[in-house]
Amino acid sequence: MKTRSMLSIMFSARFAFCAVLLLTATLPFAGCRLPGKPGEGPEVPRPEQVTNFDTLYGSNCAGCHGANGQNGSAMNLANPTYQSLVDDATLRDVIANGEPGTLMPAFGTKQGGMLTEQQIDAIVAGLRARWNKGNVLAGQNAPAYKAAHAGDAAKGEQAYQTACAQCHEAAPQKPAQGGSIRDGSFLALVNEQTIRTTVIAGRPDLGMPDWRGLVKGRALSEDEITDVTAWLMAQKPATPGQPYPGAGQQGPARIPTPNPVKQ
Amino acid sequence: MAWYKNIYDWLEHRLQLEGPIKHEIMHPVPRKTASWWYVFGSASFVLLMLQIVTGILLGLVYAPSAAHAWDSLQVLNHDLPLGWFLRAMHGWGSNFMVAVVLIHMAQVFLFGAHKYPRELTWVLGVFMLLMTLGMAFTGQVLRFDQDSYWGLGIGASIMGRVPFIGGPLVHLMLGGPMINGATLTRFFALHVFVIPGTLLAFTAMHVWMVLKLGINEWPTPGRIVRRETYIAEYTELAHKDGLPFVPGAVWKDLVFSAAILFAVAVCAAVFGPYGPTGTPDPTIIATVPKPDFFFLWLYTVLSFLPPELETPFLLIVPPIAVAILVALPFVAGVGEKSWWRRPVAVFSVMFIAICFGVFTHLGTYTPWSPIMNAWSGAPIPVELLHNRTPLERQGANVLQQKQCRNCHQLGGLGGQRGPALDTVATRLTEDQLIRQVLQGGGNMPAYGAALSPAETTALVAYLKTLRPHYQPPAVDASRGVVAMNTK
Ligand code: HEC
Ligand code: HEC
Ligand code: HEC
Repeated sequence: MKTRSMLSIMFSARFAFCAVLLLTATLPFAGCRLPGKPGEGPEVPRPEQVTNFDTLYGSNCAGCHGANGQNGSAMNLANPTYQSLVDDATLRDVIANGEPGTLMPAFGTKQGGMLTEQQIDAIVAGLRARWNKGNVLAGQNAPAYKAAHAGDAAKGEQAYQTACAQCHEAAPQKPAQGGSIRDGSFLALVNEQTIRTTVIAGRPDLGMPDWRGLVKGRALSEDEITDVTAWLMAQKPATPGQPYPGAGQQGPARIPTPNPVKQ
Repeated sequence: MAWYKNIYDWLEHRLQLEGPIKHEIMHPVPRKTASWWYVFGSASFVLLMLQIVTGILLGLVYAPSAAHAWDSLQVLNHDLPLGWFLRAMHGWGSNFMVAVVLIHMAQVFLFGAHKYPRELTWVLGVFMLLMTLGMAFTGQVLRFDQDSYWGLGIGASIMGRVPFIGGPLVHLMLGGPMINGATLTRFFALHVFVIPGTLLAFTAMHVWMVLKLGINEWPTPGRIVRRETYIAEYTELAHKDGLPFVPGAVWKDLVFSAAILFAVAVCAAVFGPYGPTGTPDPTIIATVPKPDFFFLWLYTVLSFLPPELETPFLLIVPPIAVAILVALPFVAGVGEKSWWRRPVAVFSVMFIAICFGVFTHLGTYTPWSPIMNAWSGAPIPVELLHNRTPLERQGANVLQQKQCRNCHQLGGLGGQRGPALDTVATRLTEDQLIRQVLQGGGNMPAYGAALSPAETTALVAYLKTLRPHYQPPAVDASRGVVAMNTK
């Protein structure tokens, strides 16, 4: 009888011992900053409440413009020259409504995109904070972002041969290291503004200089830029991308993209 | 006499529990049974107790209403000291409990403990497993975030497929035709009263039978279970070569349970609570809801099944599985207990464990679902863009803009529905690339109508550059043959 109840006390003593051990092992955790402690705010905010630039840029823009705004398939956004050239209103407009005639999609909710106005503002502010290095164009007599008047395509060919041919191609069959920019399909996927922006701001990430470095010894003039752009756009064939241009519009017409991943 | 002895005696005089309890805890168990293999049952019990304690504490704060549930979890996570830790303990406790219960079950099965006379213990155990899974599912629902919302939706659509009574069943489950406040109240009642109440009652009976029938002896090859002789053989073994349960065997249970509790606490402290992920708002479509860990395998299986097999699978397989488990001790209730002589049993367990592991692993990264923001979010590796012509670079823009990346990886980023395209030009010629893009096929949509000729040209020009410089491009074998013949 005596030993038996001793045993049951031993039993509970062991149990208590384990429990105490456990508590003491876990309690010190409680005080300090533990890795599992949730951070501020909800773990997954509503998508339209995200205003963090890195998150927004990383999930909406990095795919085309590159992880750090450079070395992407589309425009070099982390280019200080570009950042000085373009104003906030233009950035906002391009992001919300897309760039017509190019593959830049519209992101604004009014255009069926997923970004609210506040989010677009956050992106613009972030682009500026991250990649604008002050006005690097001050006193450089830089051409304006938008052309003031229509270009003269006839004069443009001359400008092309002077300023572009040595890196792109002199004639269609003579490619140079920059690759052809007279290709019909290429021209069908860009617009005047894309070419103008590229010529003025360059693509430092790919080794294309800005408007000051294209011709030895001088910067390109506003007229040259406008004319060469007009001439290039005039080179766009009527049926770009058709292997047999004479055959007319037989290929599939351009239909607005349905969501291709719909199952 | 000390005062506590007085109190004890006063109570014992009336309750008279000492005798029976002592009898139970001192009962002899076969010496080899006091093994580290026999600790999972008691660990499951301790985890159940942990869940009850943490659950009650959570219940003090949790608001079971659709409008406030998510917010009350935010309060726990951010405003109450250690509230997050409590949630994490309950969440990880649940994971551990399912895992330990499954291991317990596999061990019991491999050691032949389901055989005579412990059939009913096993059958109760099967229902306790189902209830544990039910607790895990209803608990996930109470989190009432996006995962929970869509988990419910899927649960409801499974119910809805039951012939004839599907509609009323959904109504019953959701408390209406759609997920609403009543749904949450229902699941709260299930999670807090119905299932735990039943589970506790079953646990009591389960443990009672373990005590009454004795703990299964260590299986020895050749020691055959026969209904006529088993009880006598067992009693002899337990008394001749036995130990009292306390303290002979119990200390291992205690140490293991303590270790498991500690592991739960460490996981809780390091990985933190589960979610809640985003608010349960069906208008948010930018979400990839996923079930909790233990239902990932089901998620995988359903994703792989062809749609026409889903309903039969969902309605036929679970009842069959339960029926097999319940029937097991009646079909294989006697005979060999040792795994050395039960190859079918061993291979079944291995097969199920491997399937479970593989399906769960697949469920963690869902290679079958497109990644919906890869087209705009997944950059193309720099080396796959440099030294390309402007046309090819526009092709890369097309590849992104037409959302090819949602299904195709480049540089390890992007969806995995289709093959990675990093070296596609070593596999496909220009003609084949054009065909694949325009006509699709093999689970890839046809893009013919969605691409202008210029876009197709640019896209294919870009795809043709996707190969390492040291590997030749794919060639059309028939051209070589033609070239040879015309020489
Ligand atoms: C599907 C690919 C794609 C995505 C995603 C994308 N862009 Fe673009 N973006 C383009 C293309 C193509 C152009 C046209 C210029 C070119 O061809 O490089 C462009 C042009 C632009 C321009 C105008 C350049 C100019 O000429 O002034 C801005 C600004 C811009 N993008 C910002 C963004 C931002 C910000 C995001 C994220 C919200 C984004 N883009 C996402 C492809 C994309
Ligand atoms: C010093 C050499 C050089 C000169 C001069 C030059 N470019 Fe480029 N250009 C490049 C390089 C390098 C690229 C990157 C192309 C590549 O890597 O395929 C490029 C790319 C381009 C692109 C495509 C940009 C993109 O986003 O893909 C356009 C458009 C372009 N150049 C227009 C012009 C025009 C118009 C002129 C004449 C006004 C010109 N370039 C003069 C070197 C040059
Ligand atoms: C819904 C998902 C999905 C999308 C979106 C998608 N693909 Fe595919 N793609 C697949 C699948 C699945 C296959 C494998 C087809 C097969 O097995 O025959 C595939 C195969 C391919 C192949 C052949 C790869 C090989 O190694 O054989 C190419 C090339 C390809 N896709 C290009 C594209 C391009 C370009 C786009 C965008 C215009 C695109 N895919 C969009 C799912 C997709």
